[in-house]
Parts: sequence; structure tokens; C-alpha cells
Amino acid sequence: MSKGFNRVMLACLVLVLAFMYIPVVAIIGMSFNGTAYGMFPYVFTTRWYRVLFTTSNLPAACWLSLRFSLSVAVTALVLGTLTSFGLQYWSPKWAKRFNFLMQLPIIIPWLVTSVSILLLATFVGFGRSYLTMFLGNLMVVLPYVVLLVNGRFQEMDRTPEAAARLLGASPARVFFDVTLPGIAPGVMAGGIMALIVCFNNFVLQYYLAPVGVNTLPVTVFTRIKSGYQADLNALSAIIILITIALLVAISCMGYSAGSLFGMSSSLKDQKGE
Amino acid sequence: MDKNKRKLDFCPGCLWTLPSAAMLLCLTIAPLVMLLLFSFMNRNMFAGQPWPGWTINNLTRMMAAPVFWRLLGKSLLIALLVTAICILLAYPAAWAIAKVVSPKRRSLLMMVVIMPFFISQLLLIYAMINLIQSGGLLMTMLSALGLETRSILYTNGATVLVLVYEFVPYMILCLYSSLEAISDNVIQASHILGANWFKTFTNIVFPMSVPGLLSGILLVFVPTAGTFMEPDLVGGSNGMMVGSMINTQYKDNLNMGYGAILSCVLLIVLCIIMAIVSYATKQAQKRIGGDI
Repeated sequence: MSKGFNRVMLACLVLVLAFMYIPVVAIIGMSFNGTAYGMFPYVFTTRWYRVLFTTSNLPAACWLSLRFSLSVAVTALVLGTLTSFGLQYWSPKWAKRFNFLMQLPIIIPWLVTSVSILLLATFVGFGRSYLTMFLGNLMVVLPYVVLLVNGRFQEMDRTPEAAARLLGASPARVFFDVTLPGIAPGVMAGGIMALIVCFNNFVLQYYLAPVGVNTLPVTVFTRIKSGYQADLNALSAIIILITIALLVAISCMGYSAGSLFGMSSSLKDQKGE
Repeated sequence: MDKNKRKLDFCPGCLWTLPSAAMLLCLTIAPLVMLLLFSFMNRNMFAGQPWPGWTINNLTRMMAAPVFWRLLGKSLLIALLVTAICILLAYPAAWAIAKVVSPKRRSLLMMVVIMPFFISQLLLIYAMINLIQSGGLLMTMLSALGLETRSILYTNGATVLVLVYEFVPYMILCLYSSLEAISDNVIQASHILGANWFKTFTNIVFPMSVPGLLSGILLVFVPTAGTFMEPDLVGGSNGMMVGSMINTQYKDNLNMGYGAILSCVLLIVLCIIMAIVSYATKQAQKRIGGDI
């Protein structure tokens, strides 16, 4: 395409990036603003950070969310890897059908998923409880792990496993010494996705968490509804900076954006079929 | 030999799939059945209570409620608008990343683009509220420039703005993956054969980006149409969408059956749209495969 055209496109990219980042940068700036309600004049202060770490209820919610989503992500990691491993033994036709079913929790809007799981839990007698919340979140993040590990299995050379079997290794040894290192990038990416999706999943936790238990997204929601919160600015700034640091670390480890989102391309391929 | 045997005999390796197959059955299929069941149940039901009996009251009530159909239409319209704006913003950006920027910077730029995905949606919404609230940064700057306008916070416009803000990275990601796959040679060939950039775009680039475009539409449209937190937080009193109506049935009215049938209808409408889009994707991919 012509030079002028490309220059216009580049300008558009800069504008879109500005649109995406101005609010994020603004909130980091506002977290150091002493004037309440994010208004002016701008007075530099670190008071909100002190509030955040002393009187605010946000760190406790954050800690709860972190523990909860870690437990969900680890479970999803193990289950998803096993599922994908087992799936390789299925005939391609049935594996494709299974994968389609597996995508349902991603495709169905989370509101509908939450409502239907809540109905089931009420029907069975669990009601809103830790178990319901755990199972619901697990179901929603499991597909990400399965899809990402599936992608790895498709790219991977399976002959070393056969060689190991022929040389007399036990099935467990083959899995842990040959298969697992091969699919490790997919497992890692799946685990990261599961952790992030679960940590940020507001709707499911809003519907399924036991009454009175406030995970971070639920707390943030109620706080936003009740108005401007200066310590929320401080927490947002911290979370945003941690996220940037994590992403930088991940890309230094050699993961590109595409590999983390292997899911989006495989989702596309399967939908296209 | 080994492969043939594997196909014929029962293979114990399949068993590793069992736990998640059971989960799918219990936590995805069974809840959807519950949704249907509760839709036609006489009143709220909790475990251990006797069966309340069937009714079609919820169905007739829904059919007679103009509010629901209006909100459903409005949600679909908002989702359509958000998707359209996302495409307009994302297309040039994805093109710039895929074709203009040097390959070395591409993966860094994609990291920058998907960063918001990793931040909680609620924090993104909150950041946007902060920016556009009256007395906030944007309004202060506008009034300093002499433009006294009212903040768009707590209007439908704010809902659209926030949704676009949240979902534009998904669209860029999808478009990028299919634009990047277009070989430079094809574009070059089109130029050499005398096509101007407009013709090259309509005849080569756009048709080849359609699969990515459609998967982007799916990723943006479906969650947008079923959302309730954006209208709840920034939409103000007139901002309700169909998701907010469903949410009200559970959070305020505790009317499970009515909420269930509304969710059912929303799901069915979205399924029809998804089926149309994935059929279109199939056709588009066939056409690309046939022509080039």
C-alpha cells in the first residue's frame, strides 16, 4: 500500500493506543492526588496508599481472591492437561465434538452461566457456597487450559513418546519425562489464562459466592456503585503496575502475545470449521 | 499397526477425559436444563421442598411485557453499535501493527494492545468513570478550553464508550491474526497489475480478513449483548439493558422462574446470531480457499 496510506494507518494506531491508555495513566496519576473525588487542583500525596494498607478492606479481598483463583487455576491446570491428554486417544470426529462442548462455557454469556449454575445449586441444595463458587469458576476457566494444551499437542512431535514406550518406560514415566516437557508451554499459558480469568471474573463470583463473602471483583463493584473511592485508585495503580511487570516478565521468558492467546486463534479455527 | 489396534480396541487412555466430561455434564449441560425447568415452574423452589408444579405464567408474562422486548432490542442495538465502532477503530490499528510496523516491534506492540485484557474489567470501567466524570480530568480540560459541556457519565453513551474501551483489544487481536497472514506478495501483485489502494483493499485485503473479522464480531457482540455491569455502573437511570433486567430478577425481586425464562430467550437469540456468524465464516473461508 502507498506510503501516505500507511502513515494514516499508523496515526490511527497511535490514536487507538492513546484511547486505551489515557484512562489507565490517568488513574495512576489520580492515585497520588490529594483532592477528593478526583477533582482539581492536583495536590501530590501518598495518603491513599497509607489508607489502602491500614484501614481499607481491599487488601483482604485481594488476598481472598488471590488464594481462591490460585486454587481454581491449579485444579483447572491438572484437570485440563489430563483432559487434553486423554482426548488424543479419541477418534478425531468425537474429539472435535467434545471440543465444541468444551467451548460452551466460553461462548455462553457469563450472566446466563451464573444464573443457570445458581439455579442448579439451589435445586440440589448447595445454594450459594464456596463449593458452588469453586465449581462454577472451575468450569469457566477449564476450557482455556484444554484449548491451549490441545494446541500444543497438535504442534508436537509424538514419536519420542512412542520411542520411550518401545524402550520400556512405564506409562507414567513416559508422561512425566517425555509428554509433559513437550506440552509445558501450553500448560503454562493455560494456567496463566485460568488464573487471570478467574481472578477477574466478577459475574460468577457475584452470583455464586456465599452471602457475606466478598472477593475482590465483588468488593470493587459495590465500592464503585457507592461512589468515588480514593483507595481504589491506589489499588488500581498497584494492580496495573503488577500486570505490566508480569507481562514484561512473560515476554522476556519468550512468550509472545500470540502464544498466550493461542486460544483465540484455535477458537477461530474451530469455529471456522 | 499400533494405530489400527488403538482404533479397534477400547483404550484406557480415554479415561483421563472422564473427570471433565462429568464436569461438562453436571456444570454446563445440567444447568441449562435447569434453566428450562425453572422457566416453567410455579414458584421459586429450594432443595427439599415439594415439587411446586408446572405453569406457563412466566411465558405469558414475558410475552406481554413490552419492557423486555424493548430492552432486548436495545441491547442488540448497543451491541451492534459497539461492534461497529470496535471494527472502525481496530481495523487501521491492526493493519498498522501487521503491515506497517517493523516485524521486530510487532510482538511488543501486541503485548501493549492486549495488556488491558489482563486488568480486571471493573478496574477499566472505574478508570473510565474517573476520566469522564464531571469534575474529572477530561471535563476540567474541556472547560479550560472553553467548551462547557455536560459529562456523558450516566447516559447510554457512557455505556457504549466503556464497552468499546473494554472490547477493542479483542477485535484488534482477531483482525491482526488474519491481516498478518496476508502475504505482502499478493498486495504487491495487485499494485503491479495496476490496482489503486482502494481497489486493493476491497478486492484483496478485506475479503482475506473476513474470517478474523467475524471471529472478532463474535467475541465482541455476544458478551456485549448479555452484559449488565456496564449499564449498572455508568448507564444511569435510563441505561438498563436486558442483562440488567435479568440481574434484577435475582438480586432484587428473587423471581427465579421469570429470570430463567428471560435468560433462555436471551441465550436462544444469541445462539441464532452465533450460528449465522459462524455460517458466514465458513462461507468466507471457503471463498478465500477457492480464489487464492
